[in-house]
Amino acid sequence: MDAATNALTGQGISLSFGGIKVLKGLDVTFRAGEITGLIGPNGAGKTSLFNCLTGAYSPQEGQIAYAGQSLDGLSPAARAGKGIVRSFQHVALSLDLTVLENVMIGVARNHHAGWLNAFLPLPRGRAERAEMERAAMGALTDLGLADAAHSLPDALPPGMLRLVEIARAIVGKPDVLLLDEPAAGLNNSETRDLMQTLRKLRSGGLVMVVVEHDMDLVMSICDRIYVMNFGEFVACGTADEVRRDPDVIRIYLGSDDD
Amino acid sequence: MSDILRDLFPLVWSGMITGCLYALGALGLVMIFKCSRVVNFSHGNVAGFAAFLIYGFSSGVLLELSWGAAVLLTIIAIIAIAFLSYAVVSPLVFESDLTATIATLGIGLIAQGATLLIFGADIVSLDLPVPRFSTAVLGLRITGYDLTVLAVAVVTIGALFFVIDFTKLGIAFRAISENPFAAEVCGLNLRSVHLFAWIVAAILGVVGALLIVPTTFLSVTTVAAFMLQAFAAAVIGGFASLPGALVGGILVGVLMNLFTFYVSPEYSSTFLLGLIMLALNIFPNGILARVEGFRV
Amino acid sequence: MSDQNVSLPLSPVDQAGWRSLISAQVGTWLLIAVALCLPLVVAGSWVFALGICFANAIGVLSVSVLVRYGGEVSIGHTFFSAVGAYTVAILDTRFGIPLWLSVPPALALGVVAGILFAWPSRRLSGIYLAVSTLALALAVPEIINNADGLTGGYEGLYVSEPLVPGVKMSLQRYYAALAVLLAVTYGLARLRRSRQGLALLLSKSHPAAADAFGARQVWARVAVMGISGGIAALCGAMLAFAGSTVSPSGFTFWAAIFLLVGSVVSVYGLTFPRALIGGAFLTLIPQFLSASGAWIPVLYGVALLGVILAGHYLPRLTQAMGRRKGGA
Ligand SMILES: Nc1ncnc2c1ncn2[C@@H]1O[C@H](COP(=O)(O)OP(=O)(O)O)[C@@H](O)[C@H]1O
Ligand SMILES: [Mg+2]
Repeated sequence: MDAATNALTGQGISLSFGGIKVLKGLDVTFRAGEITGLIGPNGAGKTSLFNCLTGAYSPQEGQIAYAGQSLDGLSPAARAGKGIVRSFQHVALSLDLTVLENVMIGVARNHHAGWLNAFLPLPRGRAERAEMERAAMGALTDLGLADAAHSLPDALPPGMLRLVEIARAIVGKPDVLLLDEPAAGLNNSETRDLMQTLRKLRSGGLVMVVVEHDMDLVMSICDRIYVMNFGEFVACGTADEVRRDPDVIRIYLGSDDD
Repeated sequence: MSDILRDLFPLVWSGMITGCLYALGALGLVMIFKCSRVVNFSHGNVAGFAAFLIYGFSSGVLLELSWGAAVLLTIIAIIAIAFLSYAVVSPLVFESDLTATIATLGIGLIAQGATLLIFGADIVSLDLPVPRFSTAVLGLRITGYDLTVLAVAVVTIGALFFVIDFTKLGIAFRAISENPFAAEVCGLNLRSVHLFAWIVAAILGVVGALLIVPTTFLSVTTVAAFMLQAFAAAVIGGFASLPGALVGGILVGVLMNLFTFYVSPEYSSTFLLGLIMLALNIFPNGILARVEGFRV
Repeated sequence: MSDQNVSLPLSPVDQAGWRSLISAQVGTWLLIAVALCLPLVVAGSWVFALGICFANAIGVLSVSVLVRYGGEVSIGHTFFSAVGAYTVAILDTRFGIPLWLSVPPALALGVVAGILFAWPSRRLSGIYLAVSTLALALAVPEIINNADGLTGGYEGLYVSEPLVPGVKMSLQRYYAALAVLLAVTYGLARLRRSRQGLALLLSKSHPAAADAFGARQVWARVAVMGISGGIAALCGAMLAFAGSTVSPSGFTFWAAIFLLVGSVVSVYGLTFPRALIGGAFLTLIPQFLSASGAWIPVLYGVALLGVILAGHYLPRLTQAMGRRKGGA
């Protein structure tokens, strides 16, 4: 019941760039309490769908709603304020900030100390910084990154940066978590740890969507999987259903072994 | 009606003439910007230096040549300077266009200082050997200078567009402006096209400086100040469009003339500021092609 | 196509660890101590020049903060410093208001001017913004000259009201400028650690990511310009007080370019020592070269190119050296 009311839904989402249709009238329901997988070949439109859901792109047609409230016309920042958070396929960390500080940005939306606190040593600003640091350190520890907290991103291997990117997304206790290829660049053991973390995150109120090419990860943690190709859904169902779907086998799973 | 004829037409006419010169300056800025995304802030100072060189070569300060020989020698010198400038800037172009743009400010400062060091801060006069006559058409006084400017501008701009449309280098220039990556993959040499743009821009600058100087006088700042209107023209024209620079130049020339006559001669730079801000905001898409598609 | 942000030769936090950070801190404290004692030992003309140097250092910071936090370059910051300078000078000459009462309105007006400029140009970036700041710089002397009823026109205004009555004026000029410079560097050090600072830095390199975590691009642009405009206004205010006169010749287009030169020469640094390098460059070189003024633009140009090219080639050079050493 909770799951149905707190879903993230899209109806008839169509997006095109200069006449090229990237999303072709998609209807989706991402339920709370489930981990939904979104798979498909490169260029299928997965990232574009995320961009529409978070407001980075404005689809030409269609409605997007969360928990029954329309999100249409809201800026990405406003959607972030509603608890809709994402990670990026291409790691988007600031090289000027330490790992810890990068992750702290993930909780920034929950804090509101004014500008005076930014320049003067006022108690509210200090408390805010301490609180943000504590939360960020917690998320980094969960992902096994505590040692790297004070390094600059420049000094870390790509796999760790990917995990930092994920830490930034989960640290703010989001209501909707959209992860774009979270396991790209991770080695096997890192991927296994990530799977554990994501399973632990699953809770009654959280909508989690994972775009991923790693089939083992998707098949083992996702409750429901959407398969996308050329901006359309080809199939939708549980891991077993999707695995048996002849269309999916043809266009995706059977095409090669990636 | 007759009042309007008496004031407006001459204003528009003379605005158009100076506008052609702004356009010459703006075209140079746009040439460089189009292919390398660098705004050449040294344009005005280098062109001013060139005007002083012509003066120096023909007046006996440096040499005592005929006017034509002085111009020729100056153009050679200016091409060498363009070559040097690009050599300094080129490693930066591929790293960050904004850093390269700042570097052009350094080149401009050096050109400014060199002018001061060689020629001093005095005002000199540099004349143009133009036919001296004037006729009246419909109450409009048209001078030999006007016609010279018009003719030179038409020929220069015509030649420029011809080169860009029909020569191999011009086609490479267009390809690189459209898509530098694809063009390079196709085997076009970015550096030689950039160099082409820098040299053409420098020559356009010399022509513009030569033509503007007779209307005022020559000092360290005159040509640089003139180039600032060229900046406005380039911005209004879209900064990445050659025809835009032409239209922008004439628009700036005419509007500035009208503004100084009808509103106030004291606030012309402020008017220019307003014009630039307005242009950047009313046509953000025409001017700012890069604002639209970003990817994440 | 190359990227939009200005490339920075040095990273802000030396990640070798805390030791170098602490030694840098000790260096800063030493420098502050020296600055505090200097008027006791050097001649009066130097005290005056150093006061101006501190004021210029604030101006250099205003440009550097825009580069560091906004990734943008301005060649029009004399507009904002003029706002600050004339606020102080007009309040002084018209109403006899002393500095400690006129600096807050100067700061506020600088912030407002920054925001007012940022709003219409919020969608501009890179060279487009640079060109519109250029137009801003050009309009400044003209506006000052034409509003001569208020600004004293070409001749300018004389700032004479003491900050602390009874104390020698030359010392007041020196220490007031130093105090404001220290306050600005302190505020900027805090900003780097604040929530807003983090958001601005992310927005500079990944605007879409910052957006997705609640920091709008427009907010970031307006905020950075507001901060930068405010600091520039403080620079103007201190130039007015430390230099005791304010006239349009101090706010020309060239002055705006020199601020950028100072910022580049200090490698866009936001610390006290770095700001001093920039300020000293702007103040002391003209002092030394006053007999041969034509060398000033040449020197500035060469320094600008030198620092930029060093920023480009040095990392490559050290890399190549390291490789050779590793191979041997
Ligand atoms: N900003 C954009 N401008 C133009 N085309 C785009 C843009 N973003 C995505 N596309 C196109 O949309 C299609 C889907 O891309 P994307 O959503 O990134 O696919 P996926 O994430 O499934 O690999 C691709 O063909 C891509 O070229
Ligand atoms: Mg993708």
